[in-house]
Amino acid sequence: MVVNKGIRQFLFPSLTHSFLIRAGCVALLAYLVFGHLLIPFRIKGHSMEPAYQNGEFNFCWRFRHLFSKPKRGDVVVIRFTGQRVMLLKRVVALEGEVVEFRDGRLFINGKKLDEPYIHKPYDWNLSPRQVESDSVYVVGDNRSGPMQNHFFGQASLSRILGDPLW
Amino acid sequence: MVNPVRNSRSPLNPTGLGSKRNPASGQRSIISNRRKVKYVLIALILIAVGIGASLTLFQSEEKRVKKQFHLLFEGVLKEPGENIFTMDQKIKKIGSLFRESCEINIPAYSVSGRLTRDEITGYAARSRLHFTQLHLKFYDFNIAFPQEGEAKVRLTARLTGKTTAGEMVNEAHELDCLLKKIEKRWLFDRIEVVEVLRR
Repeated sequence: MVVNKGIRQFLFPSLTHSFLIRAGCVALLAYLVFGHLLIPFRIKGHSMEPAYQNGEFNFCWRFRHLFSKPKRGDVVVIRFTGQRVMLLKRVVALEGEVVEFRDGRLFINGKKLDEPYIHKPYDWNLSPRQVESDSVYVVGDNRSGPMQNHFFGQASLSRILGDPLW
Repeated sequence: MVNPVRNSRSPLNPTGLGSKRNPASGQRSIISNRRKVKYVLIALILIAVGIGASLTLFQSEEKRVKKQFHLLFEGVLKEPGENIFTMDQKIKKIGSLFRESCEINIPAYSVSGRLTRDEITGYAARSRLHFTQLHLKFYDFNIAFPQEGEAKVRLTARLTGKTTAGEMVNEAHELDCLLKKIEKRWLFDRIEVVEVLRR
């Protein structure tokens, strides 16, 4: 009987002042945390495989680059106009560095970059280009298929929203 | 003559209300509080219905602009087994959303320059033929009205579908659009893809 009352109270709480204040606090906290600090997202696509699989769920941690710039090897979340559609890419070069793809190998400032996260061979060729200031060069981990079909390049730091939580 | 002694818990006053200042009076105040909450809730619902009705009846300019994008979504949408009649209707619908000439800049599809309405519909018809399934959705609208009869819209467009060759398409682009109000209708005057990642 007591349990039933407890369940009933939980499912159909009486609208007291304290209940409304508690519910308001929970709603505000949820909005602040999941709207601005830890933005939930679902991965749609295969560009970051095998590190991040299609359909996986994750959170974008907004404070990761609040006081520091992204480093080489970091996986970052890049925004478009808002937060509804975002890109998940890996930083391969920082501002001022020269990026080049030669026969499926990535060169930074003329030196071959060791990329343990690449599991499938690829055959991209891209002439050398310098990363502009306040930008980073990002590429997906899955580089199979023609280069034209992939979305990569330099992104402004202002577009980097954060990092995936795991 | 004997006057009967009236019992306070008689059928005329079964709960004994008013006879004593006991918990029953507290119960009455709870009931009245509940009534108040009910009235407040009814008032809130009525206000919400009123706001909803006024928003539906008197569309804001922002909503009218957004509607054009929804119509574009409907025009581009292609499901497997679409017949020629539906395709023709959709192409006409797409054409009616643009001005006589519209500046289009989509480097990924090698489209650049000021195109006439006929050129746009022709291009749309040819492009749709390459797909068996096509969805174009718009997100994160950022609408500004820099001057009378002009709307600047920044948004994210997501194109998903399947080509006739069986390849899956999943692309997202940031778009910068300019719409102009001509004869009470918002028409596309410029559509430009913003480069988020520059190779």
